Amino acid sequence: MAQVVGSKRKRRLEAVLVYTVLAVLVLAFVFPLIWVLGLSLKTRLEIFATPPLYLWWPTLENYADVLTRTDFAQAFVNTLIVSASAVLLSLFVGVPAAYAFARFPFTGRTFLFFALLVMRMLPPIAVLVPMYVLFSKLGLATTRFSVVLADTTFALPLVVWLMRGFFEDLPAELEESAWIDGASRYLAFWHIVLPLARPGLVAASILCLQLAWNDFLFAAVLTNNVTQTLPVMMAAFNAGDSGVDWGGLTASGVLVILPVIIFSFVAQKHLVAGLSSGAIKG
Amino acid sequence: METGGSELARPALIASAAAPPRAAWRARGIALDRYFTRVAILPTFLVMLGIFGMPLAFSFYLSFTGYAQGQGLFSGGYVGLENYEDLLSDPVFTGSIAITLVYTAAAVTAEMVLGLGIALLLNIDLPGIRICRTALIIPMMVTPIVGALCWKLLLDPSHGVINDWIGEPIVWLGRPDTALAAIWIVGVWQSTPYVMLILLAGLRSLPGEPMEAAAIDGASRRQVFWHVTLPLLRPYLLVALLLRTIFEFRAFDNIYAMTGGGPANSTMVLSMFTYLLSFVRFDFGLGAAASWLMLLMALLVCLFFIATIRRREVT
Repeated sequence: MAQVVGSKRKRRLEAVLVYTVLAVLVLAFVFPLIWVLGLSLKTRLEIFATPPLYLWWPTLENYADVLTRTDFAQAFVNTLIVSASAVLLSLFVGVPAAYAFARFPFTGRTFLFFALLVMRMLPPIAVLVPMYVLFSKLGLATTRFSVVLADTTFALPLVVWLMRGFFEDLPAELEESAWIDGASRYLAFWHIVLPLARPGLVAASILCLQLAWNDFLFAAVLTNNVTQTLPVMMAAFNAGDSGVDWGGLTASGVLVILPVIIFSFVAQKHLVAGLSSGAIKG
Repeated sequence: METGGSELARPALIASAAAPPRAAWRARGIALDRYFTRVAILPTFLVMLGIFGMPLAFSFYLSFTGYAQGQGLFSGGYVGLENYEDLLSDPVFTGSIAITLVYTAAAVTAEMVLGLGIALLLNIDLPGIRICRTALIIPMMVTPIVGALCWKLLLDPSHGVINDWIGEPIVWLGRPDTALAAIWIVGVWQSTPYVMLILLAGLRSLPGEPMEAAAIDGASRRQVFWHVTLPLLRPYLLVALLLRTIFEFRAFDNIYAMTGGGPANSTMVLSMFTYLLSFVRFDFGLGAAASWLMLLMALLVCLFFIATIRRREVT
């Protein structure tokens, strides 16, 4: 931590300066969301008032409207199913691999590992074009399952990269003594390694959940009106220009981002590792 | 290859058929131990091949065919390099390469400068600074498409609050000279927190001694920053720079939500162009060719990133 140095008076002046700059920055970064939250609590007339209202009596009618819409409920359930499945699939497939990457040298390890990173980094649209053609031929396009598979292309590398870091930080002695006591690798992995890695598993699931929850591109192409996820539904609000229902848009927007913000705060400690795909341990 | 010598300490291998079922299971598990790595890797390998490798190979094939929707899987006629030639002679495509590069450079530069500045401020030891940090990372957590739609309302020509402050009904997203700038602002708003978090983690992990030593030797704070802090922060700066380049290069959600590539193609980035080709015009052959060109460009940055972290595994 950098210490503010210098005389007492200079130090106080600097602290005031730092706080002022930070206050301006915080205001600039948070304002758009505060304003939208405000819009969602206004009636239609208040939303379009000129000049804009800065003080008003909040109403929940937009939320009541959104929550009684069946397509919102359907999209919410779809998003939940798709994100949870993508997380489970990625963990189930990726965690053993991450463990092997962390502990056992094998031929092609480095290559495979960086191939996974490339998978995470390449533009999603490039995979989506052929994926869509293949999925439609297999009759999978417009199903939730196709979105789960598509989301896995990003969630899986994230799981492997993050979990490798966690496994490397675990002491190897415990598993080794279990092997010597006659446990197989499989048993030791299941009964000793996985319970120890629980904090890592939680962090990896939350970061994947965030990724899948926020995904728009894959879901936009691979779903229809019935299987659409929340981000796709949000974009559909946008269809007409002057006819946009601001109250509905802002209220459902708040409802869409609320869960992600809560998840992210829970996993705050691991955000850096997740953002850098494990290139930096936070 | 397995870790050698692991089989030596395994007396349990001689468990006989008469052993109780539990022990027999264990013995079988141990006998299978030498396949452990392969068993652990196989699912990941198969999934990668199935949902990533195969589609990419297929798209490579598609890019040489005149594929249209409704055709059989491999029935598109072979057209050689025609798709690529068409693309490279299309001014919208070459224009979109330029727009993507300009946008990526502008967004990454702003995010790096702003992110570094904020990280330095947040690294100062003052009470209440954690609250600022928490508040500043919120934009990054917002679902991108929702964030972009929020900004669209703020920028609305007649009812938006921003125009009310300015006092002029500017059609931000409808004018070729302001649309990309508006999208740039939203991108910077969303992604500066990423850079800030990575650099803050870097600043926190730096050893204190070099700075103190330099300060004792009479270096001014500016000198310490330029000659000690920044060089020590280099690996983190590099990771943030490359990651942001990779992610801004494929920017899509904001543009889809705010302009759809218009007006007059002024915000037509490569992702948007490929999307429109493939999923609006349904020309998958041309779309595949465009996505392969985009892939190659992204791969360059990606390989550079890998070379960087391999050279110096940042921890």
